[in-house]
Amino acid sequence: MAFREIDLNMGPQHPSTHGVLRLKLAVDNEVVLRVEPVLGYLHRGMEKLWESLTYTQVVPLTDRLDYLASLSNNLAYCLAVEKLAGIEVPKRAQYIRVVLAELQRLASHLAWTGFMANDIGAMSVLLYGFEAREDILDVFEEYCGARLTVHGIRIGGAVRDLDAPLIARIRTVLERIPKRLADIRALLDENRIWKERTVGIGRISAADAIDYGLTGPPLRASGVAWDMRRDIPYSSYGDFDFEVPLGANGDVYDRYLVRLEEICQSIRIVGQALDGLPDGDCAARVPRILRIPPGEAFHTIESPKGVLGFTIRSNGSDKPERVKMKSPSFINLQSLEHMCKGNLFSDVVGILGSLDIVLGEIDK
Amino acid sequence: MSRLAKSLKSFFLVDMVRGLAVTLRVYFSRKVTVAYPEKVKEPAPRFRGLPRLYRDEQGEPLCIACKACQRACGTNCFDIEGKKEEGAKLMRPVKFDWKLDRCSFCGFCVEVCPTNAIRFSHEFRLTGVRKDGLLFHLDEMYLMGEDLQDHLCGGCRRTT
Amino acid sequence: MTPFVADVLIPVGKIVAVILYPMIMVVVMIWLERRVVALMQGRLGPNRVGFQGVLQPVADAVKLFFKEDIIQRQADRFLFNISPVLVMFSSLLAFCFIPLGEPLRFGTYTLTLWIAESPVGLLIVLGLSTISVFGVIFGGWASNSKYPLMGALRSVIQILSYEIPTGLTVLTVAFVARSMDLVEIVRRQESSGVWYGFLMPVSFVVFWISAVAETNRAPFDLPEAESELVAGYHTEYSGMKFAYFYMAEYAHMVLVSSLVVILFFGGWLPPFPGVTALRFLHAVPGFVWYLVKIMFFLYLYVWIRATFPRYRFDSLIRLVWKWLIPLSLANFLIVALVRYLL
Repeated sequence: MAFREIDLNMGPQHPSTHGVLRLKLAVDNEVVLRVEPVLGYLHRGMEKLWESLTYTQVVPLTDRLDYLASLSNNLAYCLAVEKLAGIEVPKRAQYIRVVLAELQRLASHLAWTGFMANDIGAMSVLLYGFEAREDILDVFEEYCGARLTVHGIRIGGAVRDLDAPLIARIRTVLERIPKRLADIRALLDENRIWKERTVGIGRISAADAIDYGLTGPPLRASGVAWDMRRDIPYSSYGDFDFEVPLGANGDVYDRYLVRLEEICQSIRIVGQALDGLPDGDCAARVPRILRIPPGEAFHTIESPKGVLGFTIRSNGSDKPERVKMKSPSFINLQSLEHMCKGNLFSDVVGILGSLDIVLGEIDK
Repeated sequence: MSRLAKSLKSFFLVDMVRGLAVTLRVYFSRKVTVAYPEKVKEPAPRFRGLPRLYRDEQGEPLCIACKACQRACGTNCFDIEGKKEEGAKLMRPVKFDWKLDRCSFCGFCVEVCPTNAIRFSHEFRLTGVRKDGLLFHLDEMYLMGEDLQDHLCGGCRRTT
Repeated sequence: MTPFVADVLIPVGKIVAVILYPMIMVVVMIWLERRVVALMQGRLGPNRVGFQGVLQPVADAVKLFFKEDIIQRQADRFLFNISPVLVMFSSLLAFCFIPLGEPLRFGTYTLTLWIAESPVGLLIVLGLSTISVFGVIFGGWASNSKYPLMGALRSVIQILSYEIPTGLTVLTVAFVARSMDLVEIVRRQESSGVWYGFLMPVSFVVFWISAVAETNRAPFDLPEAESELVAGYHTEYSGMKFAYFYMAEYAHMVLVSSLVVILFFGGWLPPFPGVTALRFLHAVPGFVWYLVKIMFFLYLYVWIRATFPRYRFDSLIRLVWKWLIPLSLANFLIVALVRYLL
């Protein structure tokens, strides 16, 4: 039986591509044969720009990479600089960074849940997820004044200390989130339509996931137990007791469950960090103009999207010679074709959503 | 769970009814929406609104044209020139051009200022209709509220 | 009463009412949908245009009225123009046979609250409402574009597949009522004292699910969802033509809700029509009860839209052919058997 191949374009402007992503699909009747992502619509020349800024001036620009989880980007870059320059971060500052990074993970995953559900049609979950996220953004606003491009983690520590009213506020927020999460779960977890759209869709096996370099929740949903926070701890993550949720099938449903469970685990981590906050400074004394002797350092963290890393090469001046960012969304996007092959093209939206990509991070 | 229980749950649409119950409960709950522009949600004390220049209690400008902000800024927003008058103790700016379209609201200028002259205000209504509304000269750096809106929007005063 | 009034004025008045009634309900629905969906999502929805936003539909209509009417150069102009009309026409025409309440008596004259009563009214209404399929397929074809055509094809398959459980479940009602006349069905529910929705809940639920699918509403709205790849048969329409499709969808929803109310929930009857203790409920006119019940089902439409994700197209078709049709067949056999034995 002859088949007809149709080329479909899911253009850069599309409500469900999570940014300006162009997907060139080749479908046979309804089944997807090939997916080719076309990138670069959000390219701003960040890595080149950073070569003309001092190490400190780069930090606010890293906010704009993964703009839904800006503190993670700050953290990854600052850790890489500190590794290169040999700066030691005080213990209290490390705990504060953990609190901020985990709150940011909560915010990112709540936003993801909203967008994913909206793509599949459950519009109310978008609003519920964002209402829960508002509480966290209000905490960031009280902490350092910005909600989205937070710039709260600096080279050497955090921008300011957590005082008692703020800690109390964070604890209240942590109590409110599980209730909203219960609402979202009641709407989606057991819902037969949600399960039809997500169970068995976009499968990737553990071996293929490792081959493609998949990281983050999609990797863990395929059953590979790799989480940077537990396996190569940074910033005192080794002090905390938390579980790393794993999935069994590597489909969209498992990725959804893994991220929801990570929300619960993040709440645990923040609670432990606030309980055990040691005394000390909130940041090391670092000069505003850092001059770092020649060298190269690479540091990775577990951002909400996956493993995020920065390679920095210094040449003795106050500006980096080369900064290379390894973005998880860019690498995860490679596996899109593998996941979509054989599925219907109505599922492409769902699978793309489950990867949780942010174009700012992909295109830099 | 036994297969019979599962089938019954599926036949009687239990999962659907649970979802409907959630949306119905939210329907009757109190909404957190703030009726902007009649009511405005007050930003947090540290909110990073539009950077403004400030004066001290006596009304004297605080800025001493040290250009620390210009050096700290990563996006070249500032263009400052200072002059020390004969017999004056401090230098004063004679030119202070600041571009809103370049500002990334990072806060370095605020952090480095030795006299606390430039600070974040709580102004978040930052839309303008003309390109020169985004450039602020020395006197315009002190504008707030409705005067600021006039500068940004050319004084049309059509909305609040 | 002069023959002129009785034979000309009153029927013309009824026709005007039949056209106005769905249009007014459409206006109400636009507002209801926006407000209720918003409130269920934790936000307020339109509340500025008029008191609590009731003039929002007027604002929408004015906006759509002033939009440019774009027709592509290679589109089939005749079909392109006629499809919104067809879809609207089918929904409105079926309203002629929908009874709204008990006939009102003015002295010697009885005013019937319907334009026409037919012994096969049920069949006629179902048949007329299916004419909208033509509008959909013409619209998709005439748009001369890949995506509307695919959306139109999917829409048509969906509507035609879901006609089958619809037909089977209304047949159970016709069986029990021993009539296909809509007025007669309501009268039967009055005399038997129980609404058919409680007598045959499976019929009601299957009919309701099929009805939601017929009107292309969530969770069966893949052919017209914005976030999907294929945007649906009305992609290329703008301005007033698009408004027509939009209004026709709402009018169809009102029609389907009317059918549900008449067939399964006693039409214009108050609750518990047989119980003498609740006779006082009869003081409220029949069509008020009818309106209340319709509003409940329209609200249910919106409630469902705000809650559930969307079915993928093949799941949708699998649902009807593997589950709803066997279920409605089994239901029909059981009802027929019980009716025969009793």
